[in-house]
Amino acid sequence: METKPRWLTVLDVLTAIFFVVAVFLVFVFAPMERTMGLVQKVFYFHVATAWVGMLGFMVAAVAGILYLIKGDRQYDTLGLAAVEISLVFFFVAIIMGSVWARPIWNTWWTWDPRLTTATIVELIYAAYIMLRQGIEDPDRRARFGAVYAILGFLSVPLTFISIRLLRTIHPVVIGSGDPSAEGAFNMSPRMKVAFFYSLFTFSVVFVDLLLHRLRMGKLAARVEELRLKVSA
Amino acid sequence: MNELTSPTAERASATGSAGAFWRAMWAVVWKDLSAEWRSRELLTGMLVFAVLVILIFNFALELDAKARASVTSGVLWVTFAFAGTLGLNRSMASEKDRGCLDGLLLAPVDRSAIYFGKAIGNLIFMLVVEMVVLPLYSVLYNTNLFHPGLLLVVLMGSIGYVAVGTLLSTMAVQARTRDILLPILLFPLVVPVMIAAVKASGGFLQGVPWEELKVWINLLLVYDVIFVAIAFMFFDYVVEE
Amino acid sequence: MMLQQTTPDTFNYFVVGYTVFFLVMTVYLVSLVVRYRNLKKELELLEELENEG
Repeated sequence: METKPRWLTVLDVLTAIFFVVAVFLVFVFAPMERTMGLVQKVFYFHVATAWVGMLGFMVAAVAGILYLIKGDRQYDTLGLAAVEISLVFFFVAIIMGSVWARPIWNTWWTWDPRLTTATIVELIYAAYIMLRQGIEDPDRRARFGAVYAILGFLSVPLTFISIRLLRTIHPVVIGSGDPSAEGAFNMSPRMKVAFFYSLFTFSVVFVDLLLHRLRMGKLAARVEELRLKVSA
Repeated sequence: MNELTSPTAERASATGSAGAFWRAMWAVVWKDLSAEWRSRELLTGMLVFAVLVILIFNFALELDAKARASVTSGVLWVTFAFAGTLGLNRSMASEKDRGCLDGLLLAPVDRSAIYFGKAIGNLIFMLVVEMVVLPLYSVLYNTNLFHPGLLLVVLMGSIGYVAVGTLLSTMAVQARTRDILLPILLFPLVVPVMIAAVKASGGFLQGVPWEELKVWINLLLVYDVIFVAIAFMFFDYVVEE
Repeated sequence: MMLQQTTPDTFNYFVVGYTVFFLVMTVYLVSLVVRYRNLKKELELLEELENEG
């Protein structure tokens, strides 16, 4: 933990390269969509950031289950790291979606299922962080965090279904649902390349960030331990 | 998932049969009810609060006949949710402050019996409040809210709300920020209950046919089953010392 | 509705969308670095304290 391992530096460089290529693909390589104009390009990173958000939520729930079974504090560090990264990425995804919606749906905000569910997930993350901040004892904090991450993860599908039953205008680009949804479009081959490559790149970005955040989490755990020892 | 339930299962086998479980559970329920019968502080608080919420809604929304038809179910469920949070917080906080929680945990009973005891107690308090609010609302606004379908929705919605709420309030009272923590933890998780309950209640009051409301009732049922089971499985971990 | 195929000029929204993206990501990365450094400093301080006592 003292020094950064070499393979992590290698991963950092790789991630940076992947990312630059993704930016090139989205900005230059992918064609401009004709009915929406340039703003359609927001879509690539919007979906990719949202994907990372969901990925992190899933990792946090799995880490929660593993912590409760094994009681190893490392899983708690992993859960917190995943939630924090997802909090940031989901926030970006929501804002980017909102920016896209303004010219296309003519409004910054609609109570569409995905948008609303994403916001509720964001609130669950925030509640998770607040819960942890209110508890001093590290073991109890880890247990409560794990339980809350699992509960949150299980409630999200039901939340999504219940809001969806209310009505939607969100375009379903992959696995097409309602073709009348405004802002839906068919992806050309080049768009598909940019889209799937962005998803791939952001998965790598997620792993890389997670590893760094984990290192920080371990350091924080050691500081906390020492602080208790010194003050005792 | 077997590993997760094993501590509960071990304790159950150590303390005996299903009979012991039921006795322990009803003992907890009985303890809460008799304590409340003596002090009446929890129910009084919830009821006064609920009436105040309805009063504020009355002025805030100008609840005339036309507006009422569409917003009644929303007003009712917001009132139940707020009063419910108040009750959940109070019920667990008094447990914690008087050291009852620690005492209960030391007792050689299955911990999930404690969970179900607390949850049933909370459910009874919530239902009492609802059974006072419904006629009161009916009288105040000259409508009849006693529709069997609505009563079913009230029961199912309250079960889901209390199942999650009891678990989360047990966590919240052990945190430094406990007074503000419970609603923040609880509300994002009970969104499905609130949506389904508001839609189904509104549907019953407006005479929407059962076929169209079935989907909301099913959603409530699924939520109740999932979260009662989950809370049962995880309660052990939030009271462990 | 007539099928008019003039592409709307949504360049500004494109810029705003990606500005938000890069801004938030930069802030998060900087916060990671700063927090890591502060923890490191605190750890050194605590280790010193422990060795003294």
